[in-house]
Amino acid sequence: MLWLLWAVALGVPAQAAMSRGFERLLEAVVRIDVREVAYEDGAQRFTSGVGSGVIVSDNGLILTNAHVASPRSVELSVTLASLEQVRATLIGWDHWTDLALLQLDMADAKRRGLAFTYARLGESEKLFAGQTVYAVGTPHGLTRTVTRGIISNPRRYFADNTGVRGYETGAFNTWLQTDAAINPGNSGGPLVTEDGRVVGINSRGYLGADNLAFAIPASTAREVLAKLTAEGRVTRSYLGIVPGALRDLEGFYQLALNTGMLINSVDPGSPAAAAGLRGGDILLAIDGVAVDGRFPEQLPPIQHRIASYPLGAAVTLRVKRGEASFDATATTEELVSRVGEEASLPAWGLSVRKVSRTYARENQLPDAEGVLVIGVQRGFPAQVAGLSRGDVITTINREPVTTLDAVKAAATAYAAAPQSVLIEARRNYRVSLYVLKP
Amino acid sequence: MMSRLPRFVFSFLSLPRLGARFLPRGHAAFLVLSVGVLVVAGSAARAEAAVADLWPERLKTVVAVEYTTETELERRPAISFGVVADDEGLVVLPGAAVSQRFSPDQLQDWRVYRPGQSATEYSTAEYLGRDAFTGWHFIRIAESGRAGLRPITDFLAADPAREPQMTEEIWGIGLRKKDENFLPYFLQGRVSLVQALPMRTAIALTDVAAPGLPAFNAAGEFVGLAAGGFGESYIMLSNRFRGGQPIVLINGDESAAVQLAPEIVPYLERVPANVFGRPMVWLGANGVEPLDPEVAKFLNLEGQAALVISEVLEASPAAAAGLQPRDILLAIDGRPLPTFKPDRVVAAYLDREIDRRQPGDTLNLTVLRGSARVNLAVTLTEAPKTPIEAERHYFEKLGLTVREFVFADGVNRRQTPIRLRGVVAHFVKANTPVATAGLQLDDWILEIDGQPIKTFADAVERLTAIEADAARNEFVLLASRGGETSVMRVKLR
Repeated sequence: MLWLLWAVALGVPAQAAMSRGFERLLEAVVRIDVREVAYEDGAQRFTSGVGSGVIVSDNGLILTNAHVASPRSVELSVTLASLEQVRATLIGWDHWTDLALLQLDMADAKRRGLAFTYARLGESEKLFAGQTVYAVGTPHGLTRTVTRGIISNPRRYFADNTGVRGYETGAFNTWLQTDAAINPGNSGGPLVTEDGRVVGINSRGYLGADNLAFAIPASTAREVLAKLTAEGRVTRSYLGIVPGALRDLEGFYQLALNTGMLINSVDPGSPAAAAGLRGGDILLAIDGVAVDGRFPEQLPPIQHRIASYPLGAAVTLRVKRGEASFDATATTEELVSRVGEEASLPAWGLSVRKVSRTYARENQLPDAEGVLVIGVQRGFPAQVAGLSRGDVITTINREPVTTLDAVKAAATAYAAAPQSVLIEARRNYRVSLYVLKP
Repeated sequence: MMSRLPRFVFSFLSLPRLGARFLPRGHAAFLVLSVGVLVVAGSAARAEAAVADLWPERLKTVVAVEYTTETELERRPAISFGVVADDEGLVVLPGAAVSQRFSPDQLQDWRVYRPGQSATEYSTAEYLGRDAFTGWHFIRIAESGRAGLRPITDFLAADPAREPQMTEEIWGIGLRKKDENFLPYFLQGRVSLVQALPMRTAIALTDVAAPGLPAFNAAGEFVGLAAGGFGESYIMLSNRFRGGQPIVLINGDESAAVQLAPEIVPYLERVPANVFGRPMVWLGANGVEPLDPEVAKFLNLEGQAALVISEVLEASPAAAAGLQPRDILLAIDGRPLPTFKPDRVVAAYLDREIDRRQPGDTLNLTVLRGSARVNLAVTLTEAPKTPIEAERHYFEKLGLTVREFVFADGVNRRQTPIRLRGVVAHFVKANTPVATAGLQLDDWILEIDGQPIKTFADAVERLTAIEADAARNEFVLLASRGGETSVMRVKLR
């Protein structure tokens, strides 16, 4: 009898709230059908997928996941709550937070007289474990599916180095963990409270686990949404500090509790390295503001703070090394992904990706010159000459390759008037020469 | 040193085994019988009688060798076969007989068994080291165990330069396993092909000897030593790979490839002066890659081989002589690099040209730099200390062996400039404090308790103190892996 009363007590207000805010939210959730280009096999190929999204403004801006819509998307088709389909274009994406922003084709929507509402973002900081939340989306293509669960943990820490198709994700925010059923296709859809406020963007779940799912908090989404709307991209600063949680090392480093962040590693050639920092140092303060990195959950906010500096800013870092403490000044540079821009060169049967600073550093390459081979097509000149996935093309006809455009131009010239091309490539630090022949 | 490829660089070449493809042994016998039983059987019997006469004396040139590799946790026996090289109990073992990961002091309890004699009877032997040029390991049998052995040099061909000809019959000795008393057995095959890899090598139709053991011709003359690691290509069909999956099979017990005597005999006397095979020279050119024929044609370099130099190591003879990365090596001492098939054999040729020399010797290199030909005189020097020569120390309580950081470690970790500092985690025992802290094999330990490691001795001294200090709760390591460092807290209690 008692448990029945309890259920009713909780259920009734929820029903009441749903009548307004939740109703409105449901009208704002969309299904997104994506056709995108893949470069992996040395040729341009197309794949398709389904995800979810939520309209967040009256002018048709749609928030979704970066792993749903990306610069690789060539066709984005949005299904509104009215089941009408409208085209959309990508405004920008940010794989670090796994968010992307689309613009609905408003001219078309207007012409066809299509109506929709937009959802309001809630306050994810106020969520508590046990709070009821709903996930709305398109799991396995089942449009407009609502599932219910609770917030399992409002501040889950994880960083996934290859999370979004080889792109880094998760370093700058914690995640909402929920047990609301989230399946493939839910990606990009909203996680909402009972009043219909979007508190998170559903992003991922453990496959095979029972309802361990994760969403990007609305606080992060709000910030990324603003930047993508304004600039079409999110620019972050980089110092080259790889943080570690101090946990119980305070004693060893002779620190007061809740003081400082361990610098686990300093990227070679980074601003922090240039400033003289090294692994094993303790970061005490950034520009005079104390830092506390005792637990892993506390690291993303610190990373976020560094990332929020403008490019080229001089940052004063208070550092403790052994007994001594000192100030070091590092100048921020732009954070880049290990995954550079990609292209396919059909005449050679080759797909390539620009070597980025980050890729070069992670693979201990001497510089960020060249393009990485990400696919070769059998029987085409590149494969016949012996190039394979993982090679880094450093020169073409003895000209150093510094841009992706240079490679594209060489391939275009070859396509127009095929003649032998001399290519120098590096594989595991070994330099080899190849001749691409018509 | 760095430019050296693994000794058995050709291990996975597939070799032609024509007879086996078209004429299985059973069919051959059938053909012989149907053509002329009396004549063929008669000549075969004569040949067999001759080999049977030659067999006992030649069997005295081969031994089975067992040694024990001692690591932090276990003692593991290993067995290989060798050939007797002189009257003083010198035995030559193939390079593959000993893993390059173990230092000589880990190789213990050397025993020599005679083929077919009770495996409870053995003689002891001393490990003399690995020759830098041939890669062979040398041991010397204790004086008491030398009776009844004959050196392979007793059976040299009358013409020392003679190679077996295609179709010629050669034979050799195989040995069974230890539990069968290393029982010797007869192997025979006809030469199918003679090729430079870069050593002149005869490939027979069937296996002719156990790896490391000699092959002989019909007259009983020494033809060469069987080389292990040669594979054959097959197509594997199964439920999983219905279309067939190409695989390479390697017979570890027997070999059809014989490295020929003219390139074996002169080096049987290269007894290492010490266990590390010093002196050992180095060039310091890393990653030498053969030019493929299309590229050679494009660069007008046909009719000879060429090698692209990927890296020139700091403070090396190559760097001192002005060799540069991306130079294309064309000639050594004025002689263009000979062509080999497969193309990559030429890299091993360069290694041999370097390794056969002494510190102080000059190597004249001609390289193509851009479109200019440049001559460089390289004065070879003693190679830097190798990882197997590096000092090691095992801390049993910590579950960790540290090894001195040597030049090659700096090269492998892409350090420029290379500074010899820190130590390498040479062994990390599972479920020990250091393993739990996250330390892994080959991690580069840079600091102990926040203080940089200056020398190997410094690291040993500090770790010894930590291990001996019963009151200690923890210590902290800073280690580098793949260019990224990590602070590791090792809880001792």
